[in-house]
Amino acid sequence: MSRWLQPALLALAIVPGAWADEPAQGATADACLVLNNRILGPRAPDRLLPLLSGDPAKGFHAACAVPWSKLSPANHPLPVTDCYRGSLLQVANDAACGRQTGPLWVDSRWVVTSAELQDTHAHAVICQQLDTGAWAGTRDLQLDCVPAKKELSLESVPPAPAAPRPAEPAAGPAPAAPAPAAK
Amino acid sequence: MGGGVRPGAAGGPAARAGLPRAALQSLLLASVALFFLNFNLLGTASPSRRFSQDLVYAWFGNEAWLYPRIAIGGPRRAHPRVLVVMVDEPALALRGARWPVPVEFHAQFLAELEVLRPRAIMLDFLLIDPAPQQDICELLTVGARLRQEGIPLYLAVTRPQDLAPLDAATCHDSSGAVIRSAQVFTPVSVQRQTDGSDFVSRRYPFEQRADADAAPGSGLASAAVRMYCDSERAPDACLARLTSVAAADAGFELAWSPEGDPFNQRWSQVSCIETTSPLRAILNQPALPRESPCPPVATLFAGALLSPEVDPAFGAGNEALFNIADGAFILVGGNFRGSGDLVTTPLHTLLPGVYYHAVALENLLVFDGRPKVRKEFRTPKLAFVAYDLLVLWVLAAIFLWRQRWLQRAELQRNPFELSDAARGWIAPLIARYPTPLWILATAGLLLMLAAFRSLQLLAVAATIVGLIIVELRVAPAAEIRERVRGLLMYLAALALSLAVIVLATWVGYRWLRLPPGDWLGYFSFAAFGFFVAHNAILEFGRRVEELNLARSGGGESQ
Repeated sequence: MSRWLQPALLALAIVPGAWADEPAQGATADACLVLNNRILGPRAPDRLLPLLSGDPAKGFHAACAVPWSKLSPANHPLPVTDCYRGSLLQVANDAACGRQTGPLWVDSRWVVTSAELQDTHAHAVICQQLDTGAWAGTRDLQLDCVPAKKELSLESVPPAPAAPRPAEPAAGPAPAAPAPAAK
Repeated sequence: MGGGVRPGAAGGPAARAGLPRAALQSLLLASVALFFLNFNLLGTASPSRRFSQDLVYAWFGNEAWLYPRIAIGGPRRAHPRVLVVMVDEPALALRGARWPVPVEFHAQFLAELEVLRPRAIMLDFLLIDPAPQQDICELLTVGARLRQEGIPLYLAVTRPQDLAPLDAATCHDSSGAVIRSAQVFTPVSVQRQTDGSDFVSRRYPFEQRADADAAPGSGLASAAVRMYCDSERAPDACLARLTSVAAADAGFELAWSPEGDPFNQRWSQVSCIETTSPLRAILNQPALPRESPCPPVATLFAGALLSPEVDPAFGAGNEALFNIADGAFILVGGNFRGSGDLVTTPLHTLLPGVYYHAVALENLLVFDGRPKVRKEFRTPKLAFVAYDLLVLWVLAAIFLWRQRWLQRAELQRNPFELSDAARGWIAPLIARYPTPLWILATAGLLLMLAAFRSLQLLAVAATIVGLIIVELRVAPAAEIRERVRGLLMYLAALALSLAVIVLATWVGYRWLRLPPGDWLGYFSFAAFGFFVAHNAILEFGRRVEELNLARSGGGESQ
């Protein structure tokens, strides 16, 4: 290995988040990389802005939906204090939802930012694709089934309680009991 | 194939019979055809009928006269739009979530959808697993807000009790009142139906009943049915009408289009304009599309909604986004690798399950709540089968009329038979080699044709052209003219039969609301089935008549 390759690889490895599974980058510049980004106003003044509370570490939560006037009573641009994956912008207002919600976030889909106005990239849509491949998986295995015939049950092992699992896509009639998440 | 026209037959009893007799003869022929079309030995009748139906949609599903679907960007805006919003892994990543979709994501996402001001929202996700109380309460709070704004919410369930975990969280609104899940969500069934012969989901259930003996209307309405009826002026009457079918597994047929919605071209990497010509089937090419990368319902990827970087082309004010979603029925579904939520469409391709409900809803909308339903689920069933008999009766009458014309024209020979001259020319060639050799050669040739289907059309065409050349070279001109007349008559009768089939299929589709699955059966009998059955039936009729005459004669003589 050459003299320069080893330190280069080491440097790559210690870059925070270098191995994280980041979403594909868009056709435009990432709003989170722009300095002094500001929210200039809503894209559609007649529609409410859905606000989120929380943070990336603990998760986001739906907080409330307010008009722009509540977020910026004087109709001034709001500085973006934090940003998440180019999608969520944290605003300098933590009282718009009327209770102790902590810092509030708004989806960049609903507001115009100064970063967006500076962006000179071509506005191309990212190509999408439906994933319709049929894959053999283990998520639907019924591990807690009861043998139909007693003589077949060599030893009785009580099924482990299923771990709490959030919603899954509806796939017609669901199995009788939810299978523990395999992944 | 010409029915064995012989000079001697011209003066037979059938030719002398009048109109009532001809009508009875054609009725007998039609009845035999009807029996064989519905002869379901080992379930063979159903697949051909279903495949005929699939071919119609594959070939003409883009045509407004068959399926006037609601294409965004198209000229038709008479019906509300249906929009699929697809949640996938990249969309979840934009909120730091992973599959399976957390309840808190649903709450956030409903709040985002609220901005679009849709007509109704359906979540094609089963919320049957435990979730933190805070997340459930957020979901119910957002849902209650949408309800107050007049946006109905529908939630996929496998049974009504699936909403119990949401109620167990005992969430309260700002006034302290408990928010019941039933106040927020309308539970809908997302049960699928597949045809047992090929597992294609071309039928959409009206409702999910507790068991096969349950009364009509007692079950949980399917998602599309409930959403459609709730948008009607009299929802209860609409539901009662659609769920009144006695059979527990009743459903309506899904008209389907092979062409993608024009809106999807903005994200699809392939063309949304799919054309499947009937000519491909004739040339032994695949008659159905191989896949549906551009689905027939407008699809908005959740990532594009959550991040303008994914789709920055909605306009500075999201004009294009509001244009497609404002007042639309929004169905939120998932597309996750390995989730198994895929449906085999009537075009035999795979799509995420939410499209099953979206297309069903479009069917209900464009057919004004009167979708196409099979004969077996219709009442009175006998009347709909009698319609089949009527069509076959007309086709049989055309066939017999052609036969009589040939008899009146006193053609010396069936136009499909070889002339004596041609036989005389071919016979010495055949006589050069022994019969076993010919049998082996024929068997070998047929084996090749069976193994290599691309050769079939080629071989048939080469045989026909070869025989025509031989006939033209050796047959007398007068005989050739006579045979051409016979062939033209056959083609004219076939064209007339085809016109009757098209008309019958259209009347059945448009006014009787029958799926277009019978045309291939009709056509097969018009083209050659009647020929096969005709001789046997004539013989049968002749014998019966002879017996009748003999009995009458015997009675008179006594």
